[in-house]
Amino acid sequence: MLLAIMAFSLSLLGTFLVRSGVLTSVHAFATDPKRGVFILAFLTVVIGGSLALYAWRTSRIGLGGSFEPVSREALLLTNNVLLAAAMGSVFLGTLYPLVMDAFGLGKISVGPPYFEAVFVPLMAPALFLMGVGPLARWKKASLPELAVRLRWAFGVSVIGALLLPLTLGRWSPLVSFGLLLAGWIVAASVVLLADRVRHAATGAGVWARLATTPRAFYGMLLAHLGIAVFVVGVTLVKGYEAEKDVRMQAGDTTELSGYTFRLAAVSDVKGPNYVAARGTMEVTRDGRPVTTLYPEKRVYNVQQMPMTEAAIDAGLTRDLYVSLGEQIDPRTWLVRVQLKPFVDWIWGGCVLMALGGLLAASDRRYRVAARGGALAAAAAGAGGRS
Amino acid sequence: MRVVLPLGVFLLLVALLAIGLTLNPREVPSPLIGKGAPTFELPRLHEPARRFSPGELRGQVWLLNVWASWCASCRDEHPLLVELARSRVVPVYGLNYKDKREDALRWLVQFGDPYVLSVADTDGRIGIDYGVYGVPETYVIDKSGVIRYKQIGPITEERLKSRILPLVAELQR
Amino acid sequence: MMRAVIALLLAMAVVAPAADAPPAAEDPALEKRVTDLAAELRCLVCQNQSLADSNAGLAVDLRNQIRDRMKQGESEGQIVDFMVARYGEFVLYRPPMKVATLLLWFGPALLLAIGLFVLFTRVRRRRVAGEPELSAGDRERATRLLAPGNEARNKSTE
Repeated sequence: MLLAIMAFSLSLLGTFLVRSGVLTSVHAFATDPKRGVFILAFLTVVIGGSLALYAWRTSRIGLGGSFEPVSREALLLTNNVLLAAAMGSVFLGTLYPLVMDAFGLGKISVGPPYFEAVFVPLMAPALFLMGVGPLARWKKASLPELAVRLRWAFGVSVIGALLLPLTLGRWSPLVSFGLLLAGWIVAASVVLLADRVRHAATGAGVWARLATTPRAFYGMLLAHLGIAVFVVGVTLVKGYEAEKDVRMQAGDTTELSGYTFRLAAVSDVKGPNYVAARGTMEVTRDGRPVTTLYPEKRVYNVQQMPMTEAAIDAGLTRDLYVSLGEQIDPRTWLVRVQLKPFVDWIWGGCVLMALGGLLAASDRRYRVAARGGALAAAAAGAGGRS
Repeated sequence: MRVVLPLGVFLLLVALLAIGLTLNPREVPSPLIGKGAPTFELPRLHEPARRFSPGELRGQVWLLNVWASWCASCRDEHPLLVELARSRVVPVYGLNYKDKREDALRWLVQFGDPYVLSVADTDGRIGIDYGVYGVPETYVIDKSGVIRYKQIGPITEERLKSRILPLVAELQR
Repeated sequence: MMRAVIALLLAMAVVAPAADAPPAAEDPALEKRVTDLAAELRCLVCQNQSLADSNAGLAVDLRNQIRDRMKQGESEGQIVDFMVARYGEFVLYRPPMKVATLLLWFGPALLLAIGLFVLFTRVRRRRVAGEPELSAGDRERATRLLAPGNEARNKSTE
């Protein structure tokens, strides 16, 4: 219950933080402290109200049964703690500069190096437990049994994690680690699915067993797969992204990770509220054309400050970025080309997670619960009268 | 106890955010306040053959105003500077930041020249020494050459009356 | 798509042999050091980008400063000190480790420790408390639902 309140509260808080001008943010394009006061008041009423209600009524909500320290409940709760700690540290890092400023302790900034140093050690165990959790029994699980069931999954993911980076180019321990976690989740999910198919109660066929499996289970598999995809995306982008800054004139080419970029021309164009220098960059790979990109350096009529419009070619296995830097002389431009492998997997992973969640939520059992409640009430009424 | 904890923590958070609304996260306070104004030797804007160095102003309280012809906000504060120069309360020196000489001279002709003199920091190196990250910025420097105050952004009437002029008066005693 | 191909072929036929673009930096090894250091510093104009990513004028100037100083032999530490002396600690992307930021750096570990502690004490408390008692009415209902004839109704559970 508290988790649900916190989830909504945090999204309200996020809105406040970026729109009020309390923190600098890429999302803040219309900050206004007056608007901030309004949002803060709204936020206080909604969240304060729900927390007050929680404090008052929580004793009415049941606590549920007990369970052993090693059990599915315990693993789920441990994961909750890890996720909450990760969320807490992001929260801490975001608001700390504000706290220091408010107390007059000076102005610091907290950037990606902090978040990376803090988030990864918290999420790594969570990802590991994500593989183990679904296989553990409710109430009481046995560690030796889990180890036996998962040893195949563990072996496969370790080997895959060690070998895969070699096929992509460089081997790096961080890339291996990321791939290990992602592979582990996938392998453990496969074990889970295989178990379900093998150990059905009655002698029904494989398809029948799969068909009667509740949707929540497939939702969980899909969501976990989404997380694995997400981790793969983050790992591979960070591990193998490449960029190059070059000086180019019309007709020059440059090469990056097997792609050839040729600057055909840079021409002046006029937009509805800006003028721009637009480059025409032809991209080929092994002689075959891939795409043509049009990066721009715009000067908007009102602002008079040059804005860079990068040109992006999105793909399933990589994104290509081209952007114009400064113009060094009338014929030469500084150009930056970048290759980001598997970056769209980050988005894809999130989409899969969302779909998994939707699938799980559509499980009949959540809807049957309402009907079952009426049924139980009728039975209790009948039992009471007899 | 534990159920009231979230509510208590939340109320503390609200208090923090309310304070945050009064602060400006984009403003970067200068670590140079209380330290000596970085020295330089730059050509004068009007007479490029002659150079100027802040050491020449020891014994005086003065203002260093960072400006440029391409800076829109500079126009907002300029009338105040012109007025200030006319009142002869404190001399104002200009640091012409990353500008072209012809543009700068033309701008001064058009909007008025409050500066005893301006120096040309064409590549912005001296600006970096002073921790300049936006234009306009203004420094109040005392008789021993120590920076006492940095105004980030255009000087407003209110800021001039409440902070800058009283400080200047105190330093000139 | 076809037009791009044709344009490309024509361009290749007409234009003089294209030059392979020279790198923007004269010394790629030095440039990498510059970029690595710039990635640890915050751009003060576009405050949500690092000095390495930002295209702002000041960012370009500061990168040039870093490059010049590295050429003169200054170390990363000296250059960072140079930046902090002029712009304050705000320019650091990685918050400094000092008394005021101890809570920031050790906060996450602390949160995790508190969370795990709360978890373990709760689990232990539940085990001691034991199973909740069923009321007589509930027990009768449970017996009825678990009776062999009710398998069909129970199919939707796991």
